[in-house]
Amino acid sequence: MKTIKRKQQLAGWGFLLPASILIAIMSFYPIIQAIFMSLKTGSSANLQWANPLTYNYTRMFKDALFLRSVGNTFLYLIIQVPIMLILAILLAQLLNNKDLKFRGLFRTMVFLPCATALVSYSLIFKSLFATQGLVNTILVNLGIFETNYNFLGNTNSARAIIIIALIWRWTGYNMVFYLAGLQNIEYSVYEAAKIDGANSWKTFWKITVPLLKPTIIMTVIMSINGTLQLFDESVNLTSGGPANSTITMSHYIYNNSFGQGVANFGYASAMSFFVFILVAILSRISMKVGDKRD
Amino acid sequence: MKKKLLSLMLAGALAVTAFAGCGSSSSGSDSSSDSSSSDTASESTDDENTLTVYAWDANFNIPALKAAEAAYQEKNPDFVLNIEEQSQSSDVEDAVTLAGSSGDYSTLPDIVLFQDHYIQKYVADYPDAWNTMADADIDWSDFGAEKLSYSTVDGVHYGVPVDNGTVIFAYRVDILEECGYTMDDVTGITWDRFIEIGKDVYEKTGKYLLSMDGDGNDLPYMMLQAEGASQFNEDGTPNLTSDTVKDIVDVITRMSQENVLYLANDWSDYTDQTIMGDMVAGVMNGNWIIPTIEQVEANSGKWEITTMPTLSGEEGYASNGGSSLYITSNCSNVELAQDFLAYTFGGGEGAIATYDSALTDGGVITCCLSAGESEVYQQGVAYFNDQAIYSKIVEMGGNVKTVTQSDYHYSARSLVAAAIININQGAELDSELASAQEQLEFEMGL
Repeated sequence: MKTIKRKQQLAGWGFLLPASILIAIMSFYPIIQAIFMSLKTGSSANLQWANPLTYNYTRMFKDALFLRSVGNTFLYLIIQVPIMLILAILLAQLLNNKDLKFRGLFRTMVFLPCATALVSYSLIFKSLFATQGLVNTILVNLGIFETNYNFLGNTNSARAIIIIALIWRWTGYNMVFYLAGLQNIEYSVYEAAKIDGANSWKTFWKITVPLLKPTIIMTVIMSINGTLQLFDESVNLTSGGPANSTITMSHYIYNNSFGQGVANFGYASAMSFFVFILVAILSRISMKVGDKRD
Repeated sequence: MKKKLLSLMLAGALAVTAFAGCGSSSSGSDSSSDSSSSDTASESTDDENTLTVYAWDANFNIPALKAAEAAYQEKNPDFVLNIEEQSQSSDVEDAVTLAGSSGDYSTLPDIVLFQDHYIQKYVADYPDAWNTMADADIDWSDFGAEKLSYSTVDGVHYGVPVDNGTVIFAYRVDILEECGYTMDDVTGITWDRFIEIGKDVYEKTGKYLLSMDGDGNDLPYMMLQAEGASQFNEDGTPNLTSDTVKDIVDVITRMSQENVLYLANDWSDYTDQTIMGDMVAGVMNGNWIIPTIEQVEANSGKWEITTMPTLSGEEGYASNGGSSLYITSNCSNVELAQDFLAYTFGGGEGAIATYDSALTDGGVITCCLSAGESEVYQQGVAYFNDQAIYSKIVEMGGNVKTVTQSDYHYSARSLVAAAIININQGAELDSELASAQEQLEFEMGL
C-alpha cells in the first residue's frame, strides 16, 4: 500500500519536474539576473555595480521622460479601463438575453476584435486615422471638418485614438468573462427578484453585480496589468509621439534597451521592476477592495 | 455525437496551432544555426579567400558590395564575398550589442556595414568588437573630411566610407516657373527669403516647398551643419540653447506655421504621402532620398538639385546619414579584409570599377573624390532634367563643414523634434529648448 502511494508520488513529481525546471531556467533565473542587472550601470559589455547601488532606481524619478510615460500610462488606465469594463458588462447583459435573436452572431462579432493581432490592428487604426485616411475623408466629405485633421499629430487626439483603439480591441475579451459569469447565475434568482417587484436597474445592481464580483475583480486585475504593460499600441500606432505625449512605460523601457542605439540594460531593468511593483500594489488594492468576506 | 465532433475539431485546431508554433520556433533556430555555420565557415582558416559581410539594403548597398567583390576578383580571382542580407540597419547594431553583451564576438561576420551616426557609441561601448583600419594602405585625403570624422575615433581610422550623405535640395522646376521663380532664385538664399517663396508657392499651387518627418526630424541637424554649428559643444556637452539653434528652430516653426513646411507624423508618411504622394515642390535630405523622389514617374525631367538656404544667404552644405564598412574583431583574415577594402571602396585600383557599378546598380554615390571624377558621374540624369547631379553631389560633398559629432546624436534629434512639435502646439521656444537641453544632459548623465 505504502509503496504504491510512494510510486504515485514519485510519478507526480516526475511529471512536474520537466515543466518546473524549464520555468526555473527560462523565467526565474532571468528574473533574478535582472535584479542584479538593475543595480549595475555602463555599457552591456562592461557592466559595473552602480555607485550607490540604488543609482538606477533613484535616477528614474528624476527622468522627466520616464515620469511622463508613467503619467501617460495612468491616463490610459484611469480613462480606458472603467469605460471598457462598463461597456463589457452592459454588452454581456444585453447578449445574455434569452429572447435575443442571432445571439451567437452578435457575441462573435463583439469578440472578434480579439482575434486580430496587436500589431495589425494598431497599423489599421493608424491608417484609418491618418491625415489622408478614411476617417478624415469621411468627416471632410460630410462637411463636419473643413480640412483634414492630423489626429495622430496632436497630443489630445492621439491619446484619444489610443484609448478608442484599446476599447475596440479589449471590450469583447472582457465581455466573454462576464458572459460566462452571468451564465453561472441561476435564473431562479432573477425570477425571485421579479416576484418581489425589483425593476431591472435594481436587479442589475443588487443581483448581477454582487454575483459577478469575482469575475469583475479578475477583469480589473487583468486590465490593470495589461494597461501597465501597454506596448504595441504606443509603438505601432503613434510611435510614442507626438513629442512623447503617448509613450507608455514599456515603450520607454524598450527604447532604453534596444531603441536608438542605446543599450542601457541596467536602467531598463530597474524601470521594469518599478512596473512590476506597481502591478503588484494595484492588484493587491483591487483584491482588498473587492474582497469583503471577512 | 455532434458535441464530440466539435470538441474533436477544437482539439485538432489547438494541436495545429501548437504545431504551427513549434514550426516557427524551430525554423527560427534553423536560421540561427544557418548563420552560425556560415560564421564558422568564415572563421575557419582553410578558406583564405572568403569574407562574410552584413549589409541591409538589397537595392542600395548590397549592389555596391557585389560591385566591390567583382572588382577585387580582378586582383584575386579566388576571392568570394559572402553577403548576408539583414532586414534593416538596426539588425547589425543589435548583432554587435548581442555579441558585446554576451562577451562572445565569434557570432559576428568579418565585416559589417554600420550607420555613421551610431559607430562612435558602439566603438566606445564595445571596444573589443572592432579591428582598426590603421595599417590599411588607404590615402585618406582622397575622402571628404566630414565623412571621415564619423569613422575616426581618437585619430584612429576604424572604417572605410561607402555612401555619401551629402544633402541636396531638389526643387520642381516647373512649379517654380509657374510661380515666377528660377533655380537661381532659390540658390544661395536666406531662410527668410525661402519662406517668402514658399508662401507664394503654397498660395499659387497648394504645394509645400519642403517636408520632413516630424518625429525623426533631421532638419535642425542639417540646417545647423550648413551654418557650421552643432547641437554639441566641442567637449561633448549638449548645446541646444545657443542662438544659432534658437534661430533655426524658430525658422522651422515659422515654416510649418506658414504652410511652407509640412511635418509628417512619421517616416513612412514623409516618404509615401509627401514625396511619393506629390504634395511637395521641394525635397531636402541626404542624397539617398533620390530613389524615393524618382518613384513618381510622371514628374520625370521636372526636378533639379541645388544647395541649401542658410541664415546668412550663403550656399549651404550639409550631410545626413550614410554608412561605412568596419572590420570586426572576429575577422580571422584581417589582412585580406583590409586589402579588399583598400583596393575597392578605399580608393585603390579597383575603386573606379566598384563605385561606377555601385552608382549604376544601386545609386550609391561615392565620397571618394578621385572616384567621383569618372565618366559615369559626368552623365546627365534624365529624371533631373539632364543635370549631372552625381558629380555635383560629389563636389558639394567636399564643401560640407565638419561639425562636432556625438554619441547622443539621435537622442538630441528626438528631443529637438519633440520641442518643435510642442512649440507648434503653442509652447514657448526658449523654455522648450531649455527643457530639451536639460533632458539631454540627464540622458548623458551630466
